[in-house]
Amino acid sequence: MSEYLQTRLPSAAKVAPSMWVDEAIWGHRYHDEQNPWLTFLEFLNVFAHEKEKGRALDEVNGFNTLSYTPYRRLHLRNLLFNNPKIGIISEKETADESLWKEWQEQLQNVQGAIDPNFEYLRSRFNGPEAFKDFAEIISLLKSTALELNTNKRWSSKFVFPYGVDCLYEDLNKDAKTNDRNFFGRTGEMLYLILCRSAQKERVRELLTSHLFFQDSGFNKLARALQPEDGETSKSQLKDSFLPYISHPIYDALSEDWVALLELEVPGYDIFPHLVNIAAFHLMQYQLRVAKDILNRTEPLRIVCEIVAPKKTLVRELSCDDYQQNNLLSTEAVTAYIEAIEDSDEWQQAIQQPGAFVNCKEILENKVRWGSDYEGATTPEDLIKTLRDDCRKRHKQHVANVHRTYGKDIGLISKRGTIRLRYAPNDDFLKCLIFANVSKRMELHRFQYLLWEKYGLIFGDKEAEQVLSSDVFDKKSFQSNARRLEQRLTSLGLVKRLSDGCAYVLNPHSKSIS
Amino acid sequence: MKFLRFIRQYGPVAKNDNMYDETIRRSAKRNGVEPIKFEHPAEHEILGCFSDDASPLVSVILTGTAGDGKTHLLREVWQKLGGDIELWSSDNPYLQHSLDLKGGTSKTVHFIRDLSGWAPQQGLEWEHDKLELIQKFCESIYEENPADIFLIAANDGQLVESWQRLPSSHMVNRTRDLFEELLVEDKQSIKGVCLKFFNLSRLGSAELFTRVCKAFIEHEGWATCYQESTGDDDTFGVNCPVRHNYELLKDELVCSRIRCLIELCDHCDLHLPIRQLLLLLSNAVLGHPDCPDNMMRPKDIPEIIRNKKSCRASLYNNVFGANLSENRRRAISIFDYFDRFQIGYETSNRIDNILIYGDSEKCLNDSFKEFIANDTFYGADESYCSIRNRYIEGSEEDTDAPKEFLDLLISQRRGLFFKIPHDKSHELKLWDLTVFRYAGDYLHDVLEPLCEEKTIRRAIRSRLVTGLNRIFTGMLVNSDRELLLATSGNFSQAKISRVLKDRLSVEPRHGERITVTLNEKGRAQVEVHLSKEITASWELNLIRFEFLSRVATEGALPASFSKECYEDVLAFKSRLLAAHQKRTKLDGVEDDPSHLGLNLISISKQGVPEDRFVEVTI
Repeated sequence: MSEYLQTRLPSAAKVAPSMWVDEAIWGHRYHDEQNPWLTFLEFLNVFAHEKEKGRALDEVNGFNTLSYTPYRRLHLRNLLFNNPKIGIISEKETADESLWKEWQEQLQNVQGAIDPNFEYLRSRFNGPEAFKDFAEIISLLKSTALELNTNKRWSSKFVFPYGVDCLYEDLNKDAKTNDRNFFGRTGEMLYLILCRSAQKERVRELLTSHLFFQDSGFNKLARALQPEDGETSKSQLKDSFLPYISHPIYDALSEDWVALLELEVPGYDIFPHLVNIAAFHLMQYQLRVAKDILNRTEPLRIVCEIVAPKKTLVRELSCDDYQQNNLLSTEAVTAYIEAIEDSDEWQQAIQQPGAFVNCKEILENKVRWGSDYEGATTPEDLIKTLRDDCRKRHKQHVANVHRTYGKDIGLISKRGTIRLRYAPNDDFLKCLIFANVSKRMELHRFQYLLWEKYGLIFGDKEAEQVLSSDVFDKKSFQSNARRLEQRLTSLGLVKRLSDGCAYVLNPHSKSIS
Repeated sequence: MKFLRFIRQYGPVAKNDNMYDETIRRSAKRNGVEPIKFEHPAEHEILGCFSDDASPLVSVILTGTAGDGKTHLLREVWQKLGGDIELWSSDNPYLQHSLDLKGGTSKTVHFIRDLSGWAPQQGLEWEHDKLELIQKFCESIYEENPADIFLIAANDGQLVESWQRLPSSHMVNRTRDLFEELLVEDKQSIKGVCLKFFNLSRLGSAELFTRVCKAFIEHEGWATCYQESTGDDDTFGVNCPVRHNYELLKDELVCSRIRCLIELCDHCDLHLPIRQLLLLLSNAVLGHPDCPDNMMRPKDIPEIIRNKKSCRASLYNNVFGANLSENRRRAISIFDYFDRFQIGYETSNRIDNILIYGDSEKCLNDSFKEFIANDTFYGADESYCSIRNRYIEGSEEDTDAPKEFLDLLISQRRGLFFKIPHDKSHELKLWDLTVFRYAGDYLHDVLEPLCEEKTIRRAIRSRLVTGLNRIFTGMLVNSDRELLLATSGNFSQAKISRVLKDRLSVEPRHGERITVTLNEKGRAQVEVHLSKEITASWELNLIRFEFLSRVATEGALPASFSKECYEDVLAFKSRLLAAHQKRTKLDGVEDDPSHLGLNLISISKQGVPEDRFVEVTI
């Protein structure tokens, strides 16, 4: 059993949810509806708050004591996402003054709008066509807003994080209370992971000096759309939880973020890569912890197909790996409950009189579950119900993380077939290079590094090490590696010198420019 | 006809003796002919490293792809230094030669003529004496006047790979990093290091081709062939396809078109070593799909003529390896590269009209006669006309004719690529026969003037600027006098960028200007000067040129291009934005803390970008 699993941190006092299994295994909590960008946004909310308090990435009061108050910024959000008529009004050829008036009047009828006092805007726009300027700015900020699930209600839409003045929490549809649908705490988990990572100081330093915290022009623009006293939330958010004090993934994630943040990339261009690599590590964390819980010692394997025109053996293997990995988390949940059942405590309890009551108590202590249990009063039924309920709950959200994150970051796709598999797209490959190649690296070494660090397999050398001889086919993997090279070459990220030698290049490396 | 047998050995035959310097000489001897000889473009410089007045002597590494001529050049050096030629003939990959210098001193020259043959096989341990020698090498290149100098020939991949397999030590790692730098950054030497590094793969293949082709067609063996031919229908007689192919190859037009293709390959970073060029020539002359190894032997020829199969030996097809099986063709890099031009498959209405209706339509008749009918060897013979008629009339039962005719069209289009003379290439749109419709402009309006140190035509530069502007803004703008530096706000890579950062003048203005020049590698590049000090450049290879030209002239993003070009241009924009930021910083322009101004672009109906200045009080 892996060492880190021995010391699982205790959860804070009685908090929701009432079934502490997924949370105990991975943290509070994975939520598949919170896509990678939303995770990053939630992280930024936490980070910005903690930075303000002078304790960014430090758990000063001990593990899992994070507590923060996010912003609401209802004015900004109303202007951007609950302002349907502004475009039509600005097209009108009437005097500026009457445009403002008309706009303010119609605001009364907008659903869900809060306190429609936007008088402050008048002093911010002073040109002869002030209203049109205002409309242009709104349309510009809207056009760069994060296009995450367009059907969402306005209170769950997010402006691009240009700076602190663009951060706010997710709210429910009346825009009054904090909502956990899209900010489901995965960002908090990400924050805690970085708090406990090897390179947290460097991450803090680099993030703090990023344009995001430099009050850029676009951040100022977002601030100009808000009244002087930006309202903060009434919600005090706490009860974040990450069960392990250390994990290799924590360190790998911080290492990758440092590498990315150190690149010379203009503006906010590094954000998508931070988002992707963070989500990739969160996914790896889920898989690796699950494997350790299951006590499977063989390394995590992710055979990746560089999409081929025809069906190949690599595709088959990639599909298989995907399916096996996709089951890991559910199996881990079952194993976790089995471990309770196998524990001495449980075994003794079922031998003694009052077994059911004792067992129920054990479960209430261990997984905070059982108080509402109404089934047959036998320990067997009790634990079976727990197992079923846990699996059911797990399947609703947490079990989907591998698939949804994988798809969102461009690692998993159905491209060219009907089955899901690992078939990384260009953005994902770029992200891997930017995070791992500081200037240049020989292509084979790069492939080996991807295998060693992430379990990703592209070429024959790595495949040969882990695949049994009856499924390993050198030729298929060689062509897969060739396709990888072609793809990277076409992206300008590989330079081939001659038949035997190619280098992966990082165009954003400091040392090159 | 020993000579034909000998040059056949350069071709894509199963046992081609003429692949290696060592075996070529043996095979030449056996056939009693001289091997094909020419001066390698790097020969003079390499030998110069060992001339008496080259002091101090430095170690030399020759690297490159297989077939670049490394062994040949090494042998030249060996001979020049007075090395024993008998010793050279041995198979030993490592030789030593003691060199007496003026003033009574001497040096030991170590020849490692084949690093991969000398270094232990993958998985085996390095032997002690070899390790010592490598150690000596690593140290010697950092000494000022070393007693030992080295000449190493190695494929660049093997070079790096061998060094990776060496037990790690400070010197080994230092040397490996040095090799990486020399290789990746295309350098020949590095200050403070006694080493000259020749990467033969970086030499232009077009220049090589000119030399190889000249040596090939001027070889005395051809004269013997003419003498030895006995009758019109015999080998190398008037009706012999080999003789015809050879004579075509001597035609300046044919040769120059092949050279164009190779030059374009050079400018796409596709290098063709000497071995491939010789293979091309040998195959072009001798290729025939019906012969063993798809290459004609002297004894096959009379029968081919008798059976009226000469047309299948067309040089125009052979240049593209069409005589070979698909698998074989794909495995040969020169045919793989040529295949990317899709010559034979690309066409225009004009061209196809000539080929199909040329003999009946009056306005097409002249062209048809000139290019097709007059070519009695590979042009339109009776069978071509009859199949074409079946194709035009096209009955439903006749399913063979269309396919057969389309195949014939492919070879006729290929023929046209070599037949349309320079003065008609514009009118007939020669380059429409390839996927690179603007390749002609690239060769004649970009590379040619640049090589002659002239500036390129304004119209071409305008076209490039328009193309860049359309990608930079994501809008169908028509401005070509200024480069529009625009962002979307959050991503420099966004598809549509409305926030105009600046307009950079194309004509010189306050240090700003946009030019197309050659870089130190001899490749075309777009240079954007933001000020006297700040410049950003972008290599303008054939594909990028084609892409920008199409975007500028046709508007939309060409679907046939993958995302790569588009991303290339956006990456360039990122670099320009970074350079622009640098300039702003140097200019010391302070932001007004109370106001924020933004230029937002929109586009008028004429495609003129208009900007609207929006000011916000903050």
